[in-house]
Amino acid sequence: MSISINEEKNRVVRHGMLELAEHWALALSGLVLLLSGLFELPMAARYKITAIPGFAWSGDFISSLVIHYVASVVFIVAAFFHLFYHGLLHDEGLLPQKGDLKASVAVIKTFFGKGEEPPFDKYLPEQRLAYLGMAVIIAGIILTGLVKTYKNIYAPDLSHTLILWSTWLHNIFFVLFILAFVGHIGAIILKPNRPMVRGIFTGAVRLDYARHRHPLWLSGSDIQEAYQSPVKAADISALVEAGAVVADHITEGESGESPASPGANADGTVETNKAETKQGPTHELPGEKSTNE
Amino acid sequence: MKTKLNMNRRRFLKSVTAAAMIGTAGVLNVPRTAEAGEGKLATLIDLTRCNGCIDRAAPACVSACKKVKAGRLPEPVDPIPIPFPTRKVEDWSKKKEVESRLTPYNLIFVQKAEVDMGGDKKTVFIPRRCMHCDNPACATLCPFAANHKFENGAVVIDPDTCFGGAKCQTLCPWQIPQRQSGIGVYLKVVPTLMGNGIMVKCDLCSDLLKEGKTPACIEACPQKAMSIGPRKEIYAKAEELAKKIGGYLYGKTENGGTGTLYVSSVPFDRLDGVIRKGPGEPGLGAVKRRMAGTDSLGKAVLAAPAIGIAAGVAGAFALVSKRKARMKKEG
Repeated sequence: MSISINEEKNRVVRHGMLELAEHWALALSGLVLLLSGLFELPMAARYKITAIPGFAWSGDFISSLVIHYVASVVFIVAAFFHLFYHGLLHDEGLLPQKGDLKASVAVIKTFFGKGEEPPFDKYLPEQRLAYLGMAVIIAGIILTGLVKTYKNIYAPDLSHTLILWSTWLHNIFFVLFILAFVGHIGAIILKPNRPMVRGIFTGAVRLDYARHRHPLWLSGSDIQEAYQSPVKAADISALVEAGAVVADHITEGESGESPASPGANADGTVETNKAETKQGPTHELPGEKSTNE
Repeated sequence: MKTKLNMNRRRFLKSVTAAAMIGTAGVLNVPRTAEAGEGKLATLIDLTRCNGCIDRAAPACVSACKKVKAGRLPEPVDPIPIPFPTRKVEDWSKKKEVESRLTPYNLIFVQKAEVDMGGDKKTVFIPRRCMHCDNPACATLCPFAANHKFENGAVVIDPDTCFGGAKCQTLCPWQIPQRQSGIGVYLKVVPTLMGNGIMVKCDLCSDLLKEGKTPACIEACPQKAMSIGPRKEIYAKAEELAKKIGGYLYGKTENGGTGTLYVSSVPFDRLDGVIRKGPGEPGLGAVKRRMAGTDSLGKAVLAAPAIGIAAGVAGAFALVSKRKARMKKEG
């Protein structure tokens, strides 16, 4: 397994195109679901949201339902795809590990100037915990939503107990989803985490940042000298000409499904040499020469 | 005033047996035991029989309903919280006597229609209440599942969990549910910002049905213009009656089908043209089920897990195959 690095541009690929697509499919459809779900409450007319230009539909519950359904299809397909695709490929980089809770507390303390951050893998321990939390919320929202949808179409007289549970759990998970979303945005606003924001838009993060903060990720893996940037794919030919790229590493097959990260796992995690990596992490400062270069 | 309805098959059979024992089954068209297993009820309102009880101070169905239901609604708090920002309070507690329209204290009323049928002047009286639709958006889209359609066909609002947001009224093609502010669970949350009372409408006397009794309005009708029974039976009876008098049906296809069938010798569009309409006074026009337009999308939602799983499995296998092929190529 390999990680793609472009020294010249100071970039390292953190997410492949597929992961970016999954993230944004879930995020954007999730936001639409939040909004259209909110408008299933009788609030748009009461609070004059319908008077906002472009929001006249918000007072019509059937229009909100149509939007909710459309977004649900995207959301559910993306969630089930994610579960089965990465489950079958044993991509476990985002799954919580033993000690993550304790480590998360320590990391959060560092945000307030207490102690120093330990060297990280690709994901922070609190990211792995947040992933699990979000997965539980999304699973709850989807399952209860499916019951509600089935009821809407086929069985309005479904057991009232089942409908009550589905409706109230859907509402509770809806609130938790909002809180999780706020927490997610809050986390990336924190200064130490900001360099990761670029990654979720372009697939790549600053190499000096990764070396400094995520040495466990970079160490112990095959490093490729350059990558096909999802932003400036055309640059690759120039790099090949300049001899900056080991052309063999840019294999068409996997770069197709993960153009920013040929040879990497689907979620970009580094599977090989994990044990070795954990035994001997390197914690470099920006500007220091990596042993993996 | 909890009116939860849990009419399972066994209980329903018991109810029907009890009704038969008191000798009312034949008169009131209570379902016979053999057919009651289906559990789904419907009501028939024969407008050729209803005379609006013009000889009484109030129609018998209205009085009976008030007697059974009106006393159950608790008094609203005083003062009633003013909802922000609409400041719209709906208080019918001081107008409980109103019988000319639907209110939280008047769940059935009788409309009067005078129609000129080619020189023949006809007066038609039309008892109006909740239609108990087959797939009621008022219930399925209630954000708190406070409104629910039960197995026996009754659509019932639970006053204990209703916030009075009036979504059900907006979604109902006849705007049947009526709001009483100052009552309900919303008072315990943030009454000025969320909710505005409880929604009230006919619940088909669910509590009476549970006891094996007939809904009050049907029981009280001196003209026997209303009857209740197994859905199939009532539908057949209504269609037979309409055919017999060369009349018309209302409620069979309206809003996707309902549990209330009106039979009239006068076309309903004619009646709709002459009755008084407005808040609490529903029309009799053709009504389509708006949610029908969302059903195909809903089916796509139900299919989405299978699509996601298929795509995920196919994608994973494709990637593994590529990896194997590459490894083979590289030796």
